[in-house]
Formats: sequence, structure tokens, C-alpha cells
Amino acid sequence: MGAVAVAVVGAGAAVALVGSSDGSGADRPSLPPPRDPAFVVGKPPTLNSAHTSEWASVAGAAVARRAPAASAAAVARVPALTPEGTGNIVQILGRSLRSGRLWLDVRLPSGAAGVHGWLPRKALSGYGFVRTRLVVDRARLRATLLRNGRPVFRAPVGLGRPEAPTPAGDFYIRNRLTRYASPAYGPVAFGTSARSDQLTDWPAGGFIGIHGTDQPALLPGRVSHGCIRMRNDSIRELERLMPIGTPLTIR
Amino acid sequence: MTAERLGGAPGRIPLDALDRDGALTESAERLGSRGEFLRGGAVSIAVGALALPGAARAATHNADEDILNYALSLEYLQAAFYTEAERVGALSGRLAEQARVVGSHERAHVEALQSLLGGRAIKRPRFDFQGVTENPAQFRQTAVAFEDLGTAAYKAEAPKIQNAEYLAAAVRIHSVEARHAAWIRRVAGSVPAPDAFDEPKARPRVERLVASTEFVVADPVTRTSSEPRFTG
Repeated sequence: MGAVAVAVVGAGAAVALVGSSDGSGADRPSLPPPRDPAFVVGKPPTLNSAHTSEWASVAGAAVARRAPAASAAAVARVPALTPEGTGNIVQILGRSLRSGRLWLDVRLPSGAAGVHGWLPRKALSGYGFVRTRLVVDRARLRATLLRNGRPVFRAPVGLGRPEAPTPAGDFYIRNRLTRYASPAYGPVAFGTSARSDQLTDWPAGGFIGIHGTDQPALLPGRVSHGCIRMRNDSIRELERLMPIGTPLTIR
Repeated sequence: MTAERLGGAPGRIPLDALDRDGALTESAERLGSRGEFLRGGAVSIAVGALALPGAARAATHNADEDILNYALSLEYLQAAFYTEAERVGALSGRLAEQARVVGSHERAHVEALQSLLGGRAIKRPRFDFQGVTENPAQFRQTAVAFEDLGTAAYKAEAPKIQNAEYLAAAVRIHSVEARHAAWIRRVAGSVPAPDAFDEPKARPRVERLVASTEFVVADPVTRTSSEPRFTG
């Protein structure tokens, strides 16, 4: 290893030593020229934390509390699974280290009013980081995906009818559904943490999805029960661009 | 360290497995009540996530590629550790500076090894650092052990590399890992270079240590073919 390392890393010095060892060096083969480096070292990649959001998967069912303390009032029970049977995730808003115990302030599934609460760190598993954000403009009936704060995707959407409006607020993307049977949802659906304020008794909790459609002619428009509908080519493109954990702003 | 000792204490690594010169023990003792956790917890975490997934390993036929993928798994672990610490933002002062700079190096190492391996590079695992990146004292202890381990792991594998270009790449990284080890030891108040000679750590030993930390976790299941139950 040492000889090779010298030949590669310090070839110039090695050749000089060989050549000068007997005064002439004429009867010794010279070392081969150094190889090209196996990789070129670029500038160490620094982090750009702007536009970065953090999420974590829920390790087990837990109770979110109003403050970072076990004695604080309960806000909501956080299940380990979503209604679709995928692992539940929460968006992380902040953290607090108290008496050696770490608590995370997390955004919880909710309607327009928005709910957050504190979970002990041990209730969560590893963190994920995303630099995307999906913004749904209810007035313009348009969805825009931002990456690093810049638009990378736009699509017209269908939103909730006046009697079942799509709730405004800050939410996040929880899961991705594909290869299901129902054509009404198109080829891909995303589950979100947003809940309908009107359809509170809807099966599985009245969660708002983002999905394709078998009636593209209705888009854009106020045509759904609160879900965000897109044309199928749009939802496929969004599937390619939008990771789980992406914050969702509906305004 | 022996397999028997590991087997007798799953999920926990005796401190002396890494703490050759007692620096971690001393540091842990200085931390008072938290030292007990560090002896049992942070050090076990520190030896990290090097266990290659079986499939990834089996698919790597070439011996050099196998070593480089092993190195890549170590770099994934270190890069994720420092990156998470920087993003979480719980560190300050010299420790934050160390995490920021070393994190950028570890990410560069990942990029370099990925470029070297191309499509044969193993997939990045998912990590759960269990709050260590959010606690400065635990972070410091763990970083010391990480860097000592990384240096020892490279030292054990580099002599086995056949291809001169790969060897040169590994050596370029190895010396930087040693600098990282000295840096974080200095920050932690430990002797930066405790011995005249460093000992390598064989891969099976490193992987046993890694597996017992439970620092590598499965990706959460976020995709399903279940029928949507949204409001529609």
C-alpha cells in the first residue's frame, strides 16, 4: 500500500528519490506517470437550510400535548398508521429540551383551524427533510409546487364545492396511493393531513386527498367534496416531483 | 470486543470497545448524571450504521467495489449525522463549527464515492439518531466515536484495495477522517492523538458494532395500493 500510495500521491517525489539514489538512475526504470485521480474533489457542499421543512414518522401511537411536558393537557392522539394503512408522519415545527428530555412541536392532521402539539422525541423515528412546498390557490384554482422557493410545477385544479369547501391552512403530504381500482381518483393519489371542516362524519375521517380524475373536463372548477383534483398527466408529474413530507399550503 | 459480549448486551456497546485511551469515559464522568446514558447509549449509537444491506452486498461482486461500498455506507452515516445536526440547529460555538465543516466534508466524501461507484453504489439508508443530534453533549461524545471508528475502518480496508486509483481515493479520505477525529477530540477536551500507532478495526467487528446501535431504520411505509378513502 505504501509504495503504491507514494507512486500515486507523491509520484514526483518518488521519481526524484529513485533517480538520485545512485547518482545517475540510468539503469533503473522510471516509475509510471501518476494516474488521473479517481475523482475530482469539488467544493464541499454546504447546506442551504432555506426552504427546508422537517418531518418524522410516528414510531408508535402517542398523545400530543399542549406544552412540552408529560403533565400538560392532551391535544390529540396521534396514531401510528394513517387511515390508508401507511405509516403516519408529522411535520416538525420546533423542539424543546427540558430537563434532559426532548420534545417536538408537530403539526397534526386538522381542518382549517390548524392543530399542533408536543410529542416526546421517543414517539418519533428518523427525520426527513424536504425542500418542496405545494401551494394551492383557491381563488385561481391552481396548484404550484415550489422547490427551493421556485416554481417547478403548475396545474389547474378542481376544488371543493361551496357546501364542502377545501379548507384553507397549512398541512402536509402524508402518503402516496397508486394501483388502486377506482378510476375516479385517477392513477395516483396523495393523502394529506387536511381534514374537511364540513364532512366530519365522512368514512376514515374526512381527509382531503390530491388525486387524478376520470372527468378532466370539469377542471378547473369547484367540483369536489373538498379534495384537490388534477388531470392525470398533472398528477403523474406531481408524483415525480413531490416527496412525502412536503408542506401543503391552501390559501 | 467479542461477539459474546455484544450478544450479552444487545443494543449496547461497552464503552471500552471504542474508548481505547479512556477519553470518552473521562468525558462522560465529567458530565455527571448524563454520563451514564453516554456510556450505554451514545457510544453504542456512535458506532453507527455500517452494516450493508445483504442484497446490496451480494450484488457487489468486485472486491474493490465491495470495499468502496462499505466506505460509502460509513460516509452515509457520518454525512447524515452531521447534516441532521446542522439542520436541527441545537449546537453552538466550536461544536457547531465542527459539525458544519465536517458535515460538508462527509457529504463531499459521499459524492466522491458515489461518482466512483456509479450505478453500483448502494442506496442511502435511513437513519434515526434518536435525539443525539439535538443534544450537544451527546452529539460531541458520538462524534468522537464516529471519527475514531471511521479512521480505524478505513485503515483496515485500504490495504486490501487492488486498484491504484481506488486506493488513492481511499487514502485521500482516510487522512481527512483522521483530522476530523483529532478536531472533535480537541473540542471534547480529549487528547487529539493519544497513541503513536493507530490500530485498524476489522470490518466484521465494525459491522457488529454498527448493527447493535439500531441507528439504521427502515423507511416508513408511505406508499400503498389501498383504495383511497378521501372525501373525493
